[in-house]
Amino acid sequence: MTENDSSAVAAFENREVDVKTLPDMMAVSMQPISPRYRWLNLTVAVAAVVIVSAILSFFRYQSFMAVPFGLERFYTMAIVVVCTLGALSFIYHLLADKKIKYCLREQDLVMQHGLIFRKIACQPILRIQHIELKRGPLDRVADLACLQVFSAGGAMHTFEIPGLRLTDAQKVRQYILNHKELDAK
Amino acid sequence: MNHASEPQNVDNPGEVNTGKHWRRLAPVALLYFIASNIKSTVQSALYIIPALAISVQTTSVIDTQWFWPAVCAIIALIVISGIVSYLFYQFRVRNSHVEIRTGLFNRRHINLPFWRIQNVKVERPFYYRPTQFAVVVLDTAGSAKEEAKIVAVTQRYANRLRAQILNERTEFLQNEESAEAREPVEDTESVSQSPGQDTVINRRSLSDLVIHGITNNRVWIILGALAPFYDDLAGMVSDWLSRHGLQLEQLVGSSSVTWWQWGLYAFTIMMLIMALMALLSIGGSLLTYYGYTLTRSDDRYVRKSGLLSQQEVSMRQSRVQMVAVKQDWLDRVLKRANVFFEQNKTGNQQNQELMAPNKLLVPSVTLPEAGALCEEVLPDSRLFSQTFSPVTPFYLAHHLLVRLFPVAVIVALILILEQQWQALSVAVTAAVVVSIAIWLRYKRWGVARDDNYIYVRSGIIGEDFQVFPLYKVQQVVIKQSVMMKRRQLASIKFVLASGSVTVPFLKEVQVRQLANLALADVERSARSWM
Repeated sequence: MTENDSSAVAAFENREVDVKTLPDMMAVSMQPISPRYRWLNLTVAVAAVVIVSAILSFFRYQSFMAVPFGLERFYTMAIVVVCTLGALSFIYHLLADKKIKYCLREQDLVMQHGLIFRKIACQPILRIQHIELKRGPLDRVADLACLQVFSAGGAMHTFEIPGLRLTDAQKVRQYILNHKELDAK
Repeated sequence: MNHASEPQNVDNPGEVNTGKHWRRLAPVALLYFIASNIKSTVQSALYIIPALAISVQTTSVIDTQWFWPAVCAIIALIVISGIVSYLFYQFRVRNSHVEIRTGLFNRRHINLPFWRIQNVKVERPFYYRPTQFAVVVLDTAGSAKEEAKIVAVTQRYANRLRAQILNERTEFLQNEESAEAREPVEDTESVSQSPGQDTVINRRSLSDLVIHGITNNRVWIILGALAPFYDDLAGMVSDWLSRHGLQLEQLVGSSSVTWWQWGLYAFTIMMLIMALMALLSIGGSLLTYYGYTLTRSDDRYVRKSGLLSQQEVSMRQSRVQMVAVKQDWLDRVLKRANVFFEQNKTGNQQNQELMAPNKLLVPSVTLPEAGALCEEVLPDSRLFSQTFSPVTPFYLAHHLLVRLFPVAVIVALILILEQQWQALSVAVTAAVVVSIAIWLRYKRWGVARDDNYIYVRSGIIGEDFQVFPLYKVQQVVIKQSVMMKRRQLASIKFVLASGSVTVPFLKEVQVRQLANLALADVERSARSWM
């Protein structure tokens, strides 16, 4: 668009805005994502530890072939590392997944997440370029979906709500698509 | 689900809808998937090639019994994954939306409205040549990686789809911004306006460019051009030195030269190099920016410059997302600044700031000129008459106590234990310098707003400004740690199509105000950011 001359004057009219009466993006009532997401992550953390430890133990104690480079010396260390990482991931998801909340407003999507650093992001629907629903194999087992919303802000700032129930994700997507048709045309 | 493998049975001219049913691609798409698999395999294998080459030399990998089975397995994998990609790829086009479903394990469902598509490319890889098929690449402003592809449709359909999408987009743009004729989605930036209405906004004189050369290191332009001749140059220099009785190798190894003589040599050479760099830098500046003129023709800004080959860069006013005024310490001494008009970037360009294609640079202008340029591009902006509200002192506390202090203490303790007194003094000096820098930065940070714009000031010694219209914000992110929440503080990040702008450690009330204001402006005005 051009902002030159007359159109610019009209476009940059000095409206008075009472900031206090504006809708507040930090004060919306957020709804949590599906609790299954947390269960899924916790299960994955435990399963990963069990499987990796099992593989390591298998190689340590099998008798078909010699372990190369004397790697069996590091067996205990490896198990400790795997368990620590698993425990950290478990604790993180235990605490952090509950904090992921979102809210669909008439004009935008708001999402909050983060354990120590709380991040609240707000994506105006008008600025959405395209939408994607992503479902990994585990997501599909748990009937979950991850809604990705792309704006022109670039890949670094993709707005992503994980762990939505599939039906909810589809509803949100449909809402956004309908919204744009109403609004943009 | 429609299992017919022909996506092109929509033969009404002008009709691009494929209806409600999901469609498969034509079987020729198999070629495309396999080819792109091969491409990505080769790309990732590039890193392994050195390792492979070595192992081929040392051990005879080719002769081992598993080599050929392994090669076969890789080829089979590539082919099978191509077939799987083909089988699990479906698309449909309806209600002015392109929808694509892909992936076996990771299901992706992309939904792309026509009017959000920035560009449509119809590609024909060489193996499509004998057929009538083509690939449609749909480019959204997202990022290069996130573009969507319809892998095999007939060329006729591809062209119709493109025409339809471009049409709809133009219509959409026209509806959005009152009645104003414009070209259908521009391809490359080209200037086709009547030259009569050009107005020159800014010119840079020779002395401006010399200043620019001094303040901004432009050596790399020349260094880059000389790269093929490095070896010859090195040879020439050492020849010249030896003709004058200086043998570099001897000099380094000899014990007859005492340390202070060495120091003097080094110092002199350093000074010489610095002077040479400055000269080269000025040369580079003149080379790229000689005869710099910034003109405005209709809604476009056109920059022309260059000594040997004249470059022309143009940018539409509506595309400018942000104006940045950057000043480093040398600029500050000379009271100059560089002005950047930044437009949306596509993909992950890792470009040197001064040459980035999404930025239009006006080199080394004076501050009043910078203000005028800013006002020209963003009407009614008043950059230099804003009173900036500072960030809270917690910024200082956080960076000094939480970030710097622990590191400094640990380093100091280690050095004391190791009794490295000299290193300790260096470390302490460094810590002091960093603290001063943090303090200066704290003093500079500030944010201001008026009805249409947000102004952000930052910098350490020089002053950097970023100005952007509220309605061009793409996304707002508020960050708050547990400690910040307790103290009612927050950081705010505005995501723009040209990048993001962050202001740390503001009061929470202030952050809320800024965020809500920007969002309200985006959502209420419903104006396009392009």
